[in-house]
Amino acid sequence: MSPSPQTIDSPLPQTDWTDVRAALAKATAERILILDGAMGTMIQRLGLSEDNFRGERFKDWTLPLKGNNDLLVITEPKRIEDIHFAYFMAGADIAETNTFSATSVAQADYGCESAVYDINYQGVVVARRAALRAEAEDGRRRFVAGALGPTNKTSSMSTDVNNPGHRAITFDALVEAYGEAIRGLIDAGADLLLFETITDTLNTKAGIFAAQRLFEERGIDVPIMISGTITDLSGRTLSGQTPTAFWYSVRHAQPFTIGLNCALGADLMRDHIAELSGVADTLICAYPNAGLPNEMGAYDQTPEQMAGQLRAFASDGLLNIVGGCCGSTPDHIRAVAQMAAQYQPRKVPKADRLLRLAGLEHFTLTSDIPFVNIGERTNVTGSARFRKLITAGDYTAALDVARDQVANGAQVIDINMDEGLIDSQQVMVDFLNLLAAEPDIAKVPLMIDSSKWDVIEAGLKCVQGKALVNSISLKEGEETFIRHAKLVKAYGAAVVVMAFDEKGQADTKQRKVEICARAYKILTEVVGISPEDVIFDPNVFAVATGIEEHNNYGVDFIEATKQITERLPHVHISGGISNLSFSFRGNEPVREAMHSVFLYHAIQNGMDMGIVNAGQLAVYESIEPELRDACEDVILNRRPDSTDRLLEIAERFKGQGGGAGKAKDMSWRELPVGERISHALVNGVTEFIEADTEEARQTYDRPLHVIEGPLMAGMNVVGDLFGSGKMFLPQVVKSARVMKQAVAYLLPFMEEEKAANGDVGGRQSAGKVLMATVKGDVHDIGKNIVGVVLACNNYEIIDLGVMVSSQKILETARAENVDIIGLSGLITPSLDEMAHVAAEMEREGFDIPLLIGGATTSRVHTAVKIHPRYARGQAVHVNDASRAVGVVSNLLSDDTKVTFIEQVRAEYAKAAAAHERAEAEKRRLPLADARNNAFRPDWSAYTPPKPTFLGTRTFGDFDLKELADYIDWTPFFQTWELKGRYPAILEDEKQGEAARALWVDAQAMLAEIIEQRWFAPKAVIGFWPASAVGDDVRLFTDDQREDELATFFTLRQQLSKRDGKPNMALSDFIAPIESGKPDYLGGFVVTAGMEEVAIAERFERANDDYSSILVKALADRFAEALAEYMHMKVRREFWGYAADETLTSSELIAETYRGIRPAAGYPAQPDHTEKTTLFRLLEAERNVGVRLTESYAMWPGSSVSGLYYAHPDAYYFGVAKVERDQVIDYAQRKGMEVQEVERWLGPILNYIPNKVAAE
Amino acid sequence: MSTPRPQPIPVILVTAPGPLLTDLDAGTALLRLPANSGHGHADGEVCVACSSQTDVRTLLFNLIEEQRRGTRPAFQRVVVDASAVRDRQRVLDALNGKLPAQALRDHAVARLFFLADAP
Repeated sequence: MSPSPQTIDSPLPQTDWTDVRAALAKATAERILILDGAMGTMIQRLGLSEDNFRGERFKDWTLPLKGNNDLLVITEPKRIEDIHFAYFMAGADIAETNTFSATSVAQADYGCESAVYDINYQGVVVARRAALRAEAEDGRRRFVAGALGPTNKTSSMSTDVNNPGHRAITFDALVEAYGEAIRGLIDAGADLLLFETITDTLNTKAGIFAAQRLFEERGIDVPIMISGTITDLSGRTLSGQTPTAFWYSVRHAQPFTIGLNCALGADLMRDHIAELSGVADTLICAYPNAGLPNEMGAYDQTPEQMAGQLRAFASDGLLNIVGGCCGSTPDHIRAVAQMAAQYQPRKVPKADRLLRLAGLEHFTLTSDIPFVNIGERTNVTGSARFRKLITAGDYTAALDVARDQVANGAQVIDINMDEGLIDSQQVMVDFLNLLAAEPDIAKVPLMIDSSKWDVIEAGLKCVQGKALVNSISLKEGEETFIRHAKLVKAYGAAVVVMAFDEKGQADTKQRKVEICARAYKILTEVVGISPEDVIFDPNVFAVATGIEEHNNYGVDFIEATKQITERLPHVHISGGISNLSFSFRGNEPVREAMHSVFLYHAIQNGMDMGIVNAGQLAVYESIEPELRDACEDVILNRRPDSTDRLLEIAERFKGQGGGAGKAKDMSWRELPVGERISHALVNGVTEFIEADTEEARQTYDRPLHVIEGPLMAGMNVVGDLFGSGKMFLPQVVKSARVMKQAVAYLLPFMEEEKAANGDVGGRQSAGKVLMATVKGDVHDIGKNIVGVVLACNNYEIIDLGVMVSSQKILETARAENVDIIGLSGLITPSLDEMAHVAAEMEREGFDIPLLIGGATTSRVHTAVKIHPRYARGQAVHVNDASRAVGVVSNLLSDDTKVTFIEQVRAEYAKAAAAHERAEAEKRRLPLADARNNAFRPDWSAYTPPKPTFLGTRTFGDFDLKELADYIDWTPFFQTWELKGRYPAILEDEKQGEAARALWVDAQAMLAEIIEQRWFAPKAVIGFWPASAVGDDVRLFTDDQREDELATFFTLRQQLSKRDGKPNMALSDFIAPIESGKPDYLGGFVVTAGMEEVAIAERFERANDDYSSILVKALADRFAEALAEYMHMKVRREFWGYAADETLTSSELIAETYRGIRPAAGYPAQPDHTEKTTLFRLLEAERNVGVRLTESYAMWPGSSVSGLYYAHPDAYYFGVAKVERDQVIDYAQRKGMEVQEVERWLGPILNYIPNKVAAE
Repeated sequence: MSTPRPQPIPVILVTAPGPLLTDLDAGTALLRLPANSGHGHADGEVCVACSSQTDVRTLLFNLIEEQRRGTRPAFQRVVVDASAVRDRQRVLDALNGKLPAQALRDHAVARLFFLADAP
């Protein structure tokens, strides 16, 4: 077809979106509006050629442009205008612009990124012209919707099923791309924006983000239409969301319509539209394809058929706007419009103000749900296990933690990666990206938790659902608060707001309520966040700490909760419960009871969410009444001695006993005075302290020596007990009280001494200690306790409070001439801040000691990150309140200071070196060096044994009873997550009962298996002449060793070895070809047989999962036992090098014999693809029915394969991480692509493949 | 206790008529890949809905979904009849995890099925 001439540019009217909204509101109240039909179908009918697409502007374009339909708004504007006009005249109220692929992302296929703005602009222009023409014909106003397609990339899913964490495009790139397209549409005056055919909700969230940012800049409010796509039977969007979850995820756009398009035909879309219609408090828009083809191929629905199916939508009141997608034409739209005119539009339902969150599935916090459990196990600050997995990079196991939480009923899971030694932001992104590919985890909404806003924001850019942010606050003032809150809204999340402000964290009821009310006002009035999306965290603090001011913290929280929920409509209350019982760490039963009692009261007063370990919560009613009452006294602050009373009984509930008679046992009074003082300190007994102190005073030269002698010795005992979890904080504070009384008693004597001797050894104050919680941190319980303990040891404390800048710390330190500075912090970023303060002290010439304390601090961190920055003075890590006195006194004593500091430095040097070593272990040797350090046994002194046969031999018809004797039961219990060795596990204190029950069931099934011959195990083994060639094992067809049969490739350890240990590869166990010694290699595949699969299925069908798993676990054991049995036969008989071996089956399990049978995919040879060679040589599928899946797993699953090495020094080692030099070498040897090798060796690569390639 | 992952289901690809397509036992599900979707696109062009009608991964996913809903009996293997499809490499790539995933379900299918040789 010949290209059309360009049309004239006539000026278009300015669009006033307030007017558009009013006109649309009026029209949608009256009738069902009509959207147009397919543009692509109509363009295809035109039969355009390459020239039409190129037009004048693109005539010299280097890439073919045919098929880039969007370009036609520039090169064939009249033809597109006419299609729009045809739809308008068929009855359409709204036309979609021909701009579906007009983003830089999608236009990249044609190299047309530079035309994106123009396409969008011209797309509106041609549609507008058609609209004005149509309106001129019949007087009815028409609308132009700027169409925004999904782009051809996805931001919440990987396109590579083998690499689910990968993303082809980022949120930011999509914001950029959509932003450009939207500017074109808006500049040309599009009446609406339409995000359609959504393949990935996160892409659309980026589009919404871009649109809203532009609206805010321009001060406009363009109506947005959002239309998803469902294409399979599961009824979920392409990115896996249910229709309701999809709605919740985009609801923050406050869209003019929500709906579905493309996808299935109308009949199959109905249920999903009905679901949306029920939940969406906005208009519904549906525009399905014109039907589905039959099995034989092409047919399109006729206009009447399509209208007929959509009639069912309209008559049920499901529609506000209706149109057509692929395959529909103006005739279809005409028929649909005539049908729709006969029905009333859907009435928009009102949505209650409820918290609505979404993962792949939706979560609505209705009144039926008294309390939302937020899973805390995926929080590195809350779970030591998770932290270890994350720092070790074991994401697979970390995902299992998340999976278990969801399986155990967590309705939301909290993800926190705030760990000082990892890149929290990157790890957050990586973890969320991997999590997105696990539907059984991703189904629940996520709480993105960090004390760093950047980490939160990076996380929000990864999640397609509606997440919760934890948290923001007024800590840094209103400006920052508003900025964060606006972003939370723009990313479509709900938010936890902590009750703290510029002055600090709210502790009293009044402050909690005040701050929350202030935040509420800002959020709802300035930011425009819906109040139901706000969750206040009024700060759960530790009670029963022994410090009087803390006693009312429980009551403050509970009462504040009541007031906040009463005064501030629709908000929610959450909190981190474990803080509450901080002073009882180590005593889980008491902690659980405290948590339950607290929640019981807090929930009654309006708390409805919490970060808890749901599995570890005692049921309020089932708590022992005595303990429950004691907890209640503490939490509700019902009596002054409640802490003492809880302490008294706490030990008993810990299950250690012995505490009861202690108080009345007076035998300690018989001990020497020093030990009595020590006892009084440890037990907090003040009764005799003055008498004992007096007695001690008389035996020492000076009163001061009593303090430095027995009193300090006693405090050190307290410190040790506290440090090892045998004493709790309140007891320590009581000890400090004893100390204080003793010192008070000694003071007059010291004054007297001073008066007599001048100021020798004067002790007005033992020293001035400045204490502060560093900038950005608000946690101060530990610091306060240290303050108390130090103060009662006669130190003068200057406490600067929380969130203290380094400048203020140093100014005060100088002005007050302090002797020591103590820094505290609990959250991870405080670690950096502390290092900063240390560097500032160095820069400003300080030399006084610097104490570092707080939950996330560590000796290693202090040694590696803080100590080196403060060379003038000394940084010391003090994590126990009770240790502080000893450390401070040592540092301030002229006698001990030098030695003490020397000790600390030596210790830190050691810690730093250990850290360094751990890091160094991550550094690997070059392959050549590793080979130079290979294992080289003396081959001249060794004659490899020859097997009794060469080639393969197959075995069947095993005696199951005999095989059962070779079963190693320990892994069987591990399968059931009972950890311990068999048979000791049966007597294990905690797990024994469960283990014994399992054992009985397993033995019963085992008897059946043997008796009824459920399994038919098979084995194939083979032996071949072999020589080591470099790191490989070459096999020969026969003992002539002329013709090569195959090669087994092996990998070599690249660890930096110490103590002369060799860098192993399996080939080291085979005589090298140059040795001239004929050696051999064996191989095997054994299986418990295919029968297990059917039996397990039979149990499953009978809903007996227990037996199903049991039989599979036993089949696995039989396969392993057969492998062990065959290996024994090989050693004693077929290879025969250990004909005289006599081992019991338990010795076999302990593997005390000669030779190994390593399997590919295991540590000694992590490359699974090596199985291919083995299976080929053994003809495993033909001989024993075992074959490899494409991932090189064995099918059936209860199978074992491996190689036999006979060398007496052969042992199982781990190759561990390998470097790229070995991977390249290995790939060349194997004749595989490097990338392919990297794919299979992914877990053991000591580098990031793409990164290296890019460098 | 963690639940064991399900065993992957073998998928046998057939490109010409033969006994495999007729001698089906009760444990085998048969999938026929259509030649095109009939949405009136030009040859080679597809919309997301088309691909759901022609992409073997979506159809395999639907089999699982049907089984979950109880509208299809349990099956232990799948025979895919691709004799109507022109671009068979695409089918192979889809089954081998080499075709770019278009939807989250494609990740599920990659874990639940594997391409097996004809018996």
